[in-house]
Amino acid sequence: MAWRDVAAADLADGAHRVELEDGRGLVVVRRQDRWWALRDRCPHQGAPLSAGAVSGRVSPCLPGEEITLADDEPVLVCPWHGWEYDLATGRCLHDPGIRVRAYEVKEEKGRVWVEVRQA
Amino acid sequence: MQLIDADVHNYPAGMQDLTPYLSQRWQAYVQQSGMGFPGASMYPKVFAAAARRDAWPPNGNQPGTDPQFAAMQLLDEWSIDAAILNPLVAVSSLHNRDLANALMRAVNEWTANDWCAADRRWRGSIAVNVRDPEASAREIAHWAQDERFVQVLLLVRSHAPYGQREFRPIFRAAVEAGLPVGIHFGGGGDVPITACGWPSYYIEDHTAMSQAFETQLVSLVCEGVFSEMPELRVVLIEGGFAWLPALLWRLDKNWRGLRSEVPWLTESPGDIVRRQVRATTQPMEEPGDPEHLLQLLDMIGCDEFLLFSTDYPHWDFDAPDRALPKQIPELLRRKIRVDNAAKLYGLA
Repeated sequence: MAWRDVAAADLADGAHRVELEDGRGLVVVRRQDRWWALRDRCPHQGAPLSAGAVSGRVSPCLPGEEITLADDEPVLVCPWHGWEYDLATGRCLHDPGIRVRAYEVKEEKGRVWVEVRQA
Repeated sequence: MQLIDADVHNYPAGMQDLTPYLSQRWQAYVQQSGMGFPGASMYPKVFAAAARRDAWPPNGNQPGTDPQFAAMQLLDEWSIDAAILNPLVAVSSLHNRDLANALMRAVNEWTANDWCAADRRWRGSIAVNVRDPEASAREIAHWAQDERFVQVLLLVRSHAPYGQREFRPIFRAAVEAGLPVGIHFGGGGDVPITACGWPSYYIEDHTAMSQAFETQLVSLVCEGVFSEMPELRVVLIEGGFAWLPALLWRLDKNWRGLRSEVPWLTESPGDIVRRQVRATTQPMEEPGDPEHLLQLLDMIGCDEFLLFSTDYPHWDFDAPDRALPKQIPELLRRKIRVDNAAKLYGLA
């Protein structure tokens, strides 16, 4: 594994596509000082997750109860069919057996770094 | 040809796209009233404009409003040879019949001139005003010789089932023009959108749409529309198809005992549907075991029944390389992707 410099750290909040030297596409997500990185392809039908929405996750509740949004564990919502992925693990909320590859990511020296397998 | 997309949506960016095709009187009316183009949207959707989030053109207008961008993102990206445009401008929702009929013509002129003329891969559907079947029949006849149009378009939710006699002029005109009638997801007609009233959520609206398709299909069969017009072809667009075998079993069974009520049905409803009805694939049924899909197709019993569709630019878009499970054999896959639509719409 090796850390790759993928972007300047001045990216706006939200999802951004970056590409590794070998052509692999990743989606880097920023929320203030927190960062995540996933493979930029939905396993369902291949949509670019970088066009998706970053959102909190709606907590389960009973009908009539207040519907709340847990903002501390955000999800990436696929831009086509709305499937939600846990940003930290890449696991799909409705079926954790479905998973997008998740990468370690860090901000250092004004750059965003992602840990990837050696090409 | 390798791939035909049987359901794509073109939208006006606003009334300014349609006004060039309105008479001076209606241009003045639209300008003075400030009306927007009619489009029924009863529930907020998962994403803005019910669209893929990556389908917004660079000019910032709504998805589906830019023929060049749509051609690049859909037709070029997936090597689609022809795509059927279904403009979802709800002209039938306007109570002012004169205005609705003027807009019906404007929508069709706009589809022909702003879309089909821009790229030969776009093929149009003729929008009609179901509140005025006679005017709709004249509209169909007006475009009958224009090869850019390959279908007549109805929306599945209507104020009355389409088999009823008031709608016959539309179906007769389609047959005379040699065009299939597409019945597409959506619409509305001053009645609740389900048989049991108004649901609360968009997930219910979207899922229960198949109710309306079932109602229209049963109506068209039982009212004798297909029997009266054996040449008529109807395409169920974006309504799913997994429900069809169970519906036909039920309808065939009832026909055996109740056929004297509808004596024009001299053959079983299942036979009529297999001969005269087609359906588009999107939103693709996704059973947990893809083999179940093959069983369903076998139960439907007609390998000409399905036409591939994406529903671009909507959020429930089906990707041409991913939507059909690999279990579908190559010959059938080829029919679904291209041959069935080519035959139905006369696309060489």
